[in-house]
Amino acid sequence: MMSKLTVQERTGAMMISALVGLSGLLMAAAGHNDAMGAHGWIVMAFAAVMFFIVAGKLDMPEPAEDRAASYYDDPTRVGIVIALVWAVVGMFMGVWVAAQLAWPDLRFDAAWSSFGRLRPVHTSGVIFGFGGNALIATSFHIMQRTSRARMPNQVLPWFVLMGYNLFCIVAASGYVMGVTQSKEYAEPEWYADLWLVVVWVAYFVLYIRTLARRNEPHIYVANWYYLAFILVVAVLHIVNNLAVPASFMGAKSYSAFAGVQDAMTQWWYGHNAVAFFLTSGFLGMLYYFLPKRAERPIYSYRLSILSFWGIVFFYIWAGSHHLHYTALPHWVQTLGMTFSVMLLVPSWASAGNALMTLNGAWHKVRDDATLRFMMVAAVFYGLSTFEGSFMAIRPVNGLSHYTDWTVGHVHAGAMGWVALISFGSIYALAPVLWRRETMYSWKAVEWHFWLALAGTVIYVFAMWNSGITQGLMWRTYTESGTLSYSFVDTLVAMHPYYVARAFGGLLFLIGAAIGFWNVIMTIRHVPRRVPELDYPTSSEALEPAVPAAE
Amino acid sequence: MAVRKRDPLTGHETTGHEWDGITELNTRVPRSIWFFVFVTHLWALILWFLLPTWPLITTYTKGILGIDQRDEVQESIVVANAARADWTDRVDALPVADILGDGELMARVTNTAHQLFGDNCAGCHGTAATGGPGFPSLADDDWLWGGDPDTMMETLRVGVNAGHPDTRVSQMLAFGRDGILGREEIRTVVDYVRSLSGAAIPAERAAAGAEIYAANCASCHGEDGRGSTELGAPNLTDDIWIYGGDAASLFTTVHDGRQGWMPTWEGRLTETERKILTVYLQDIQRKATQ
Amino acid sequence: MMRLIRILLRPFSKFFEFHARTHYRAERHSMALTIGIIIAAGVGGFVEIAPLFTIDETVEADPHMRVYTPLEQAGRDIYIREGCYACHSQMIRTLRDEVERYGPYSLAVESKYDHPMLWGSKRTGPDLARLGDKYSDDWQVRHLVNPRDLVPESVMPQYAFLLDRRLETDSLPGRLAALRAVGVPYTDEMIASASADAAGQANPLTSAADGVTERYGDATAVRTFDGRPDRVTEMDALVAYLQILGKLTDLPAQIQPVAEE
Ligand code: HEC
Ligand code: HEC
Ligand code: HEC
Ligand code: HEM
Ligand code: HEM
Ligand SMILES: [Ca+2]
Ligand SMILES: [Ca+2]
Ligand SMILES: [Cu+2]
Repeated sequence: MMSKLTVQERTGAMMISALVGLSGLLMAAAGHNDAMGAHGWIVMAFAAVMFFIVAGKLDMPEPAEDRAASYYDDPTRVGIVIALVWAVVGMFMGVWVAAQLAWPDLRFDAAWSSFGRLRPVHTSGVIFGFGGNALIATSFHIMQRTSRARMPNQVLPWFVLMGYNLFCIVAASGYVMGVTQSKEYAEPEWYADLWLVVVWVAYFVLYIRTLARRNEPHIYVANWYYLAFILVVAVLHIVNNLAVPASFMGAKSYSAFAGVQDAMTQWWYGHNAVAFFLTSGFLGMLYYFLPKRAERPIYSYRLSILSFWGIVFFYIWAGSHHLHYTALPHWVQTLGMTFSVMLLVPSWASAGNALMTLNGAWHKVRDDATLRFMMVAAVFYGLSTFEGSFMAIRPVNGLSHYTDWTVGHVHAGAMGWVALISFGSIYALAPVLWRRETMYSWKAVEWHFWLALAGTVIYVFAMWNSGITQGLMWRTYTESGTLSYSFVDTLVAMHPYYVARAFGGLLFLIGAAIGFWNVIMTIRHVPRRVPELDYPTSSEALEPAVPAAE
Repeated sequence: MAVRKRDPLTGHETTGHEWDGITELNTRVPRSIWFFVFVTHLWALILWFLLPTWPLITTYTKGILGIDQRDEVQESIVVANAARADWTDRVDALPVADILGDGELMARVTNTAHQLFGDNCAGCHGTAATGGPGFPSLADDDWLWGGDPDTMMETLRVGVNAGHPDTRVSQMLAFGRDGILGREEIRTVVDYVRSLSGAAIPAERAAAGAEIYAANCASCHGEDGRGSTELGAPNLTDDIWIYGGDAASLFTTVHDGRQGWMPTWEGRLTETERKILTVYLQDIQRKATQ
Repeated sequence: MMRLIRILLRPFSKFFEFHARTHYRAERHSMALTIGIIIAAGVGGFVEIAPLFTIDETVEADPHMRVYTPLEQAGRDIYIREGCYACHSQMIRTLRDEVERYGPYSLAVESKYDHPMLWGSKRTGPDLARLGDKYSDDWQVRHLVNPRDLVPESVMPQYAFLLDRRLETDSLPGRLAALRAVGVPYTDEMIASASADAAGQANPLTSAADGVTERYGDATAVRTFDGRPDRVTEMDALVAYLQILGKLTDLPAQIQPVAEE
């Protein structure tokens, strides 16, 4: 891998590592009385590993000067493997916390292993670790292919990928040490937040510069979505994480906002983390891998336009549906509810666009588990957005809020949509990326598919049941007009569902582990095959006139 | 100019672009989409007129229905209270004994008390009201303050050692920690106390204990050790213990003192709710001691 | 009928035709897309968040609203550190069953000084917005040491280690100062004596205790929350925080008089 970097680039990478290591040293020194100090050591260790990996290969010969003739795929490869590692880790954490809710003593007698500290390790592990790495890796692949251009720089993608993973490691290790801002999906403390801003700006620069080099007059749909993902997540991240550190010698900070304004900002962020991280980015993935795998044209370019701008515009308004009936003023709730329902149309338009694209390829869906992953993902995407819009209606939310119904909805989206589309894409990508004939075992892909589907269905049904049961029990009245159940009664009723959920999660985890193994075996044991056409070419298509609707 | 192809399968025209082998059809947006756009927008528009919705810098549009969530919940509670009034009025008006005798009313009381007790009391007194270490059982007929309904109502209203201005106050002194009695003296009186509920101890030790007891404890727990409901001092002659009746627990009790803390429920529960709980406890006690 | 629908739908598709053409031009320029995305995604957030700062009635006025003492704030930080918000909400919604179960619905003013708010999004355990004084300190300590000792059905984790950990109070002045920077009205004096106040509040026998009531009011609970006067533990802080929940102001009870049945 290092042989593709010029000596200059190698020294550049070493200097960046040294700088990062230096900031780690500063953190370790300043925060020696605090968890920040531990983070300083982690940063230093990470930087040292990077530094020595490069240093060990510093005296390799310069690469041949024909780089522009090929795509730069090394960061994509590493990113995919890292994504799979995070998948296994994050989902293991999910199974563990799920088991803790069924059997609360299934933990170590140590502070770090309590539900409250491990739950964010799971959520960040799967969303940012698994999802984020899958997004970054696939975006590197897609932006080059659909631009017919190599990335403009070879250090920047590494910086983005490794810098992002440093953020993830600091985040996850922070939670077990109790370092958290308590803002869901934005838990990392101020220094991690600042670091992510740096990484994210680099990501944007890399993306936009690759687009600028494209040999293609138009920008493909997938890139619109990745661009929206990068841009809006940046805005959300910066605003929601505004905070004043209690001291520059420690991790603790206090959010700039308080109370109702903080709640609205948090859920403007939280909901749109769903929209622009878990939806927009993965739609980018879908828009590339699904037509590619099905070998069918996108059903409708116009529908793509409609759903893209609909999603970008409407999603932002919907965050207040997380705050129905709370101390947030009623008017904001009405906005959140109505926009959430209007949002359903563009959401279904994109799910429909994907499924209609499969017209003419349904036999492939039947035979090819990889494509089936993508198809089922699109179905779950449609299902969870429908459910979301339904849950955003105030009286429905009155029942669902605070219960497992939300958790069921989350996992219909997260497992059914986000994870399945990622796995499908990875199976489609791996042979191309590593120049292999095929996946190591198609049977294993098939197994993974069924385990994942069964796991998701068990999980989601268990949570629908427990959520609706609990929501109803909380508000069940006796015929005397008084509450029927105490809180503990409802807790007892949850137990069987929590057991079922842990089981469903376990199936899903086994599937993910099989996937990881399969990719590794593909890299190690499948014979190479160089594809005919996987290098930048100039565009064949010339500029057509503005296409009128037929 | 671009070559616009037709997709042989659907007959739709492509946009003429191609990215890494991916092409797009230029299919028009299905009319059903416009239909749903129309329906959802219309629905939203109507709600915007009816409900508070749009911010206007220092105020917001109130909506023609004039609805606000706070008025709504307040109103629903008033309505609910009115709907329950038929029987809650009777609970308020009737003496506890009469309620206990009224099967229909008792059914309502028991139904209601399940949640009230479960969410407020069970944490300390246990789901079955049988208490636990540090928390007295409410299902026997051993009472610190008295088991009659009025006393119980008062205990619930003001609590014990709680924040209420009229709170009941009770304190088992820390005889050892505060240096009133030496260790050996405490061990002796503890043995004596155990003998009150039937433990066999040597006679001379009992005599020594009785002496210490008379000098230090009798003022609260009575000459005979039967306690005082005036002071909330427990009966030491039965075998019912709040903090445990083994020698070690008793030693701790006498050495470090005790001060049970029972919350006041005046701010949290209405008078009716407290009465319902009182009736419920009377009923439990009646059943348990029958 | 179909014609009517068609006529009604026409404006949408007309607008869309214009929109699609604009987009078609924009998708040739990455910067045009970038700007378009930022504008389209900017509107909603601005319209929903900015007015919350300008519409006065958003947060009820209450001159008696009190701030957290240093010990309570330290407890709040532990509550955050342990992730209690993952299972407990602190927001009673305007729904009849919630008011009947937990007490008066939560007002915005109650979390006015909460940086960040802890309204929560999941109730694996019960709401804690009105927890203060519902149980004794002793109960809270025993419950945190092992919830299943008191509530056999509970799935809450044990937090026994809190009893053994000395509360770190040196950083409290800095923490209060940061909170002041984001809008909590701590005075210079409160900040300067934050460490002493934290220790004093957990031990009424010391003279530091007097400073606490002086600065934070006579109603402030000054007790040995964890039952041990000899040292100030994380348990002291967390229990002090739990015992103040819902008690920073009595406005909710005033504007929602307990509806006598
Ligand atoms: C924080 C724990 C706690 C909670 C919650 C609690 N209690 Fe108690 N309760 C106690 C303690 C401790 C005592 C004993 C007080 C004493 O030492 O005198 C007590 C005493 C009592 C007594 C007096 C017993 C006697 O022997 O005189 C009654 C009656 C009672 N509780 C009923 C209730 C009811 C009803 C509820 C719920 C509405 C409730 N308690 C909630 C802790 C609690
Ligand atoms: C000032 C009054 C007072 C005096 C004097 C007093 N007690 Fe007590 N004692 C109490 C009260 C009140 C309680 C109940 C405390 C509680 O419920 O938290 C109590 C509780 C007890 C208990 C616990 C009972 C149980 O069920 O666990 C024992 C044992 C006891 N006292 C023994 C003694 C002995 C022995 C002495 C003398 C050395 C003594 N007491 C002196 C007031 C007193
Ligand atoms: C795994 C989820 C979970 C976590 C994490 C958790 N709790 Fe709980 N909590 C519960 C459940 C379930 C109950 C109800 C059963 C019980 O009382 O133990 C509960 C009950 C409580 C109660 C009693 C509330 C009442 O009104 O009866 C308090 C107080 C409490 N928790 C505080 C905390 C604090 C403080 C933390 C963090 C240090 C915490 N909890 C973390 C699940 C959790
Ligand atoms: C092995 C499979 C999984 C299991 C067993 C699992 C389990 C859990 C559990 C137990 C919770 C806590 C729920 C609660 O607090 O009651 C949770 C929360 C969550 N999980 Fe998972 N999970 C799995 C996979 C995933 C995946 C793949 C994703 C995302 C890509 C994901 C995203 C989330 C999110 C966002 C939450 C927070 C939900 C909320 O706050 O409402 N999970 N998960
Ligand atoms: C039209 C699209 C969607 C709408 C309108 C929507 C709406 C909602 C609603 C109403 C809630 C419950 C809020 C509450 O009561 O607390 C929710 C929670 C959630 N949704 Fe969706 N949803 C949509 C799509 C998705 C998708 C595709 C995902 C993908 C993973 C997703 C992930 C989540 C998560 C993670 C939460 C939990 C937030 C939390 O409380 O921690 N949603 N959504
Ligand atoms: Ca953060
Ligand atoms: Ca102490
Ligand atoms: Cu949402």
